Amino acid sequence: MAPNQTQFEQMVRAYSAELYRYAYWLSRDRFAAEDLLQEAFARAWKAWPELRDRTSAKAWMITILRNEHARGFARKQLDIVDQDPDELELPVVPSGAQGLEMEQMIRTLPLTYREPLMLQVLGGFTCSEIAGILGATEGAIMTRLTRARQALRGELLGAETRRSVR
Amino acid sequence: MNCLEFRRLKLADPRRLPEEARAHANACPACHTFSQRVDESDTVLERTLTVPVPEGLPDRILLRQNNESRNRWRVFALAAGFVFAIAFGARYLMVARSDEPAQLAIEHVLDEPQSLTTYRLAEPRLLSTIVRNFGGEIKEPLGRVRYIRLCPVGTGTGWHIVFETPQGLATLILVPDQHIAAPAAAATAGWNALVQPTPRGYYALVTDSAAATSLVHRLLQERIHWNV
Repeated sequence: MAPNQTQFEQMVRAYSAELYRYAYWLSRDRFAAEDLLQEAFARAWKAWPELRDRTSAKAWMITILRNEHARGFARKQLDIVDQDPDELELPVVPSGAQGLEMEQMIRTLPLTYREPLMLQVLGGFTCSEIAGILGATEGAIMTRLTRARQALRGELLGAETRRSVR
Repeated sequence: MNCLEFRRLKLADPRRLPEEARAHANACPACHTFSQRVDESDTVLERTLTVPVPEGLPDRILLRQNNESRNRWRVFALAAGFVFAIAFGARYLMVARSDEPAQLAIEHVLDEPQSLTTYRLAEPRLLSTIVRNFGGEIKEPLGRVRYIRLCPVGTGTGWHIVFETPQGLATLILVPDQHIAAPAAAATAGWNALVQPTPRGYYALVTDSAAATSLVHRLLQERIHWNV
């Protein structure tokens, strides 16, 4: 097997799970997420010889994934309405009401807040690295992350209050 | 460091606090409690974001990448073959992938080997809903359902269903809104398929032998009624 092919295969195996989750929370649909990931990796394979610093492959893949999402999936997502709700499975099964509420809250979080949160929690990137990926300043990213957590915390507390009143 | 600075840092990046911030949390009970609450929320957040990854995902990605690499070579090979064919007056040009629905169904099963080894959305109720949406009615259970997935098929999508039969595992692919003129069959690489038109599209049945395909097809005809 050619070295390029081997390295690409290692990259797919190392990052596909993490990137799938990222794609899922971008598209909020498991089928769209897999399609998005397939397209991103197909594009990455074409550009693979041009990637000089292979240690930055993960951040590079996230950029490709975001571009693919921006290219077409944001629009296509609006078309995904032809499924019976019974046919869809819940993508997350954390135990307890808190997990389900959190899922709903993340889904409703604006993308500008959701994306840095995903990159930090799922990707393990620092604020500075997230700023580089999203093309924003580090300060702006810190503000978005702070607000995202405040929003989630506020919603969770509200949900807990509602549960205790019932 | 004051409490405001600590909280700002904690909310922005809870896991990468500078030493100074950690020292503040240890010394300030209110910020210590705040820090614990943020960590609790982040644990739930991380668990929620970590959605299950579909089985066989890296293999499917690599399979597609390999196919595309091969296809690039195939384009060169076809171009060379075309020149060769013209030179020698050849009349036919062979291509590997088929557009024939029965052949396509076999290729689909070969492309998704995990469908035969994993359990996924295997609920009889879901199968009934899918068949009903496809214009059919299951009169008697087909057999134990093991795998259900909506897959890209041809120009659209189709429901890929694997169920157990006395003849072994059978794959049923329901393809709505894509029509075929007549029943057809194909056999490749030890797999046998038949396709059958229905009012809403067509279905493909794939098993590992012609005899099994025939028997399972009879079972389908007995147990599913297609509404016109």
